[in-house]
Amino acid sequence: MDGHDSMLQAFLAGDLESASARRFDEHLLECEVCWRAVREDRAGRLAAQALRRQAPLGLTDRVAFAVEVAASARPQGLPANAQSRLGWRLAGGGTVVLGVLVTMLVLLPGVRGTPHMPAAVQAVAHYAQALAPPAGPGRSQTGGRQTTPAEVGRPLYVTADGQRIVLRTWRLGDTEAVVAVSGRPFPMPSGATASSGGGMAWSARIGRLGLYCLNGRTSELVAAPVPAAELPLLAAQLPPN
Amino acid sequence: MDVAGVDGDHREFLDATLPYVDAVWQVARHVAHDGLDPEDLVQETYLRAYAAFGSFRGGNTRAWLAAICLNAARSEARRRRRRPMEVAGTLRDVVAGAGASEGEPDVADLVIAGLDAQQISRCMAKLAEPQRVCIALVDGAGLTAREAAEVLGCPRGTVLARLHRGRRRLAELLTDAGVSHGRP
Repeated sequence: MDGHDSMLQAFLAGDLESASARRFDEHLLECEVCWRAVREDRAGRLAAQALRRQAPLGLTDRVAFAVEVAASARPQGLPANAQSRLGWRLAGGGTVVLGVLVTMLVLLPGVRGTPHMPAAVQAVAHYAQALAPPAGPGRSQTGGRQTTPAEVGRPLYVTADGQRIVLRTWRLGDTEAVVAVSGRPFPMPSGATASSGGGMAWSARIGRLGLYCLNGRTSELVAAPVPAAELPLLAAQLPPN
Repeated sequence: MDVAGVDGDHREFLDATLPYVDAVWQVARHVAHDGLDPEDLVQETYLRAYAAFGSFRGGNTRAWLAAICLNAARSEARRRRRRPMEVAGTLRDVVAGAGASEGEPDVADLVIAGLDAQQISRCMAKLAEPQRVCIALVDGAGLTAREAAEVLGCPRGTVLARLHRGRRRLAELLTDAGVSHGRP
């Protein structure tokens, strides 16, 4: 870079003091090379700035969720009553609104899970920790009258340790449940109970959450804060994904 | 990265870093290659930043995150090149731009009038990486040249030189793509 370029860059960067900047302004009137360089610099800057796009709606929520999942990936496992930001969003007034379609991809190292808690199951469980418990003391309506399930919020797309998962939240009566669907079977966490009956692969309990995994053409994992005995009935009442 | 051993309050981390999601996003859009989704890169940036938050001594959080984003993009590019090529996702961020403008002879005016964003993206992709990165940091994410120099670990003058060359090259490429300066 010669002195000419150096002066030009200083001018463009606004580094020249006023007297020098004025002199360079005058120089630009006479020097076609510098004038062109200034114009091209401006054109390139405007072109690059024209590419600026606001971050996608939901990216902040997605990032926050990913960090929360990472934060929960501690040796001691998931807290029984996670008080997460996501939880605040999801549980407010019992009306869950994630509000955005989010795609979460745990790419490189990211959340790997532990030998006891596979990352995919952990992500689902963490998400479901935010579900409101069934209204009323120690009761849910899954074993009672039939109600029409209503989807709450919008789907959350997750990839945990390479496993792509779609998470949907449903409300059935006063019970909320997360249904996670994946093209790959959800790995069975340690402590889970395997079963070969009725296509069920396994069930498990994490804190107040019951998990119920069904394997078929796709793998479905239902997570809800209900007694284990109610999970099969709850799963049967939720719409197929 | 093993997040299992991370110390620190993730809420404190999120409070400190979430205001810069947009800046990281602007960087990620320009440095995500080989089918890497910029949103995934943003997330990976935050996961790495969270893992390193305990050793972050404060200072310029935005520049810190931008540096992590660049490193994550490079790591991912190396990883992908060592593996069989994955099917690239759709380029979701391509904006349906207005067609190439006509009439105005000055390229800057044409840019202001709204160039085809896809065309600009293609031209940006042809820039040398150091130039593209500087443009992404300064013109994209809004970092100052000094902040970009901090991110890249190089003198501010180097950033200014790369910026200038990159912008001029971008303007040339746009001209080659059919946008005329009019007057030489």
